[in-house]
Amino acid sequence: MSSIMKGNYDLNKKVEGKKEEPEKLEDKFEKEALKHFGGSMAFVKKKKVEWNLKK
Amino acid sequence: MDSSEFSKFPIQAGQDAKEIMSNMDKITWDRIGSLSLENTRRNQQYLHHGKSLANLHGQPIGEEDTALIVASGPSIKIQNPAPIISSFGYKGAILCTESAIRYLLIHDIIPDLVVTVDPHPHRIVRWLGDPSLTKEKLTEDDYFRRQDMDTSFAQEISTNTKIIELLQEYGKQIKIAMSTTSSQAVVERVIEIGMEIYWWNPMLDDPDDENSMTRELHDINGLPCVNAGGNVGAAAFMMADAVLEKKHVGLLGMDYSYFDGTPYRNTQHYEAMVQLKKDEDMDAFFFRIHNPYVNKWFIADPAYMWYRESFMEIAQDADCMIYNCTEGGILFEDPIEFITIQKFMEKFSS
Repeated sequence: MSSIMKGNYDLNKKVEGKKEEPEKLEDKFEKEALKHFGGSMAFVKKKKVEWNLKK
Repeated sequence: MDSSEFSKFPIQAGQDAKEIMSNMDKITWDRIGSLSLENTRRNQQYLHHGKSLANLHGQPIGEEDTALIVASGPSIKIQNPAPIISSFGYKGAILCTESAIRYLLIHDIIPDLVVTVDPHPHRIVRWLGDPSLTKEKLTEDDYFRRQDMDTSFAQEISTNTKIIELLQEYGKQIKIAMSTTSSQAVVERVIEIGMEIYWWNPMLDDPDDENSMTRELHDINGLPCVNAGGNVGAAAFMMADAVLEKKHVGLLGMDYSYFDGTPYRNTQHYEAMVQLKKDEDMDAFFFRIHNPYVNKWFIADPAYMWYRESFMEIAQDADCMIYNCTEGGILFEDPIEFITIQKFMEKFSS
């Protein structure tokens, strides 16, 4: 049965699917936990105040 | 912990501390990015309760050209600088973080300007007294109970009642530089108190970048954009330096660290750390830094160390002299002068 499910012919064109690694549970967990580590606001280098940003 | 060579002063870094710190820009962005934009959009409906921060630019807040920034780091309760400030009759501007309002008011010091920036949905309002605080709410979040900042907040219900009373009495006299990214709870509380609101956008990124979100905030409301420097203490400093244009600025309660030996459970980001490591492995997340001025060691998690490094960059570009009067913590090195609050007062209180 499993050999039938695989298909019993060859494709003319080789299909190369992009294998996407599913995000590991631990990575996802770590990412969520790290969010709580974040600062209160962003820090932007070499900037102070922009009173009026021109278009 | 390994010894580190990246600084001139003795420092030890836990095995994960440096790596997390080097990603703090992104980690912070993940935390505040979309929340900030959402809050700013929602706060459009409240802008008419205040004015633009531009109205404070160069205004004579406090006498002469000095300012004190008061934050609520762990040193505040040990150093207790308020009686010294009062005894000198300091007339310069007093700016504080929202977390330090209570400390100043219970010592009969009314700040000239309060600053708030963090978009967190329900924690920040507690510094201003949360009229809707219940025991049920407290069981859901032990953040304040754990903190080694203003420990009065550990006695939560009574402290909450006290700060509500204090702000009912003094709040209308106090100006607040309120970030448009503030939570609805903070905004509604400030309006309810009757504080004098000055609105500003915190920079979320470089406004000169293509597709800048800072520019997007500015396009929404036309308000000035201020570099908040990663945290509310740095934002308060920016108000003194770039908005009020003070020339001599003292810092209090700006520890960016905890005293060595503080249980990790009492540090601000414990809830994140405990999800990743067991209590006995927490050293991995911390830096230990020796402060030569007070000859003591302090501990800092990656966020606090990032605050320090960010502030040191801000200090390099400041137009004022900076005096750290915290008498502890990790914010030292050129161009910051590390002096006692007594010395600062002797120098700038005539």
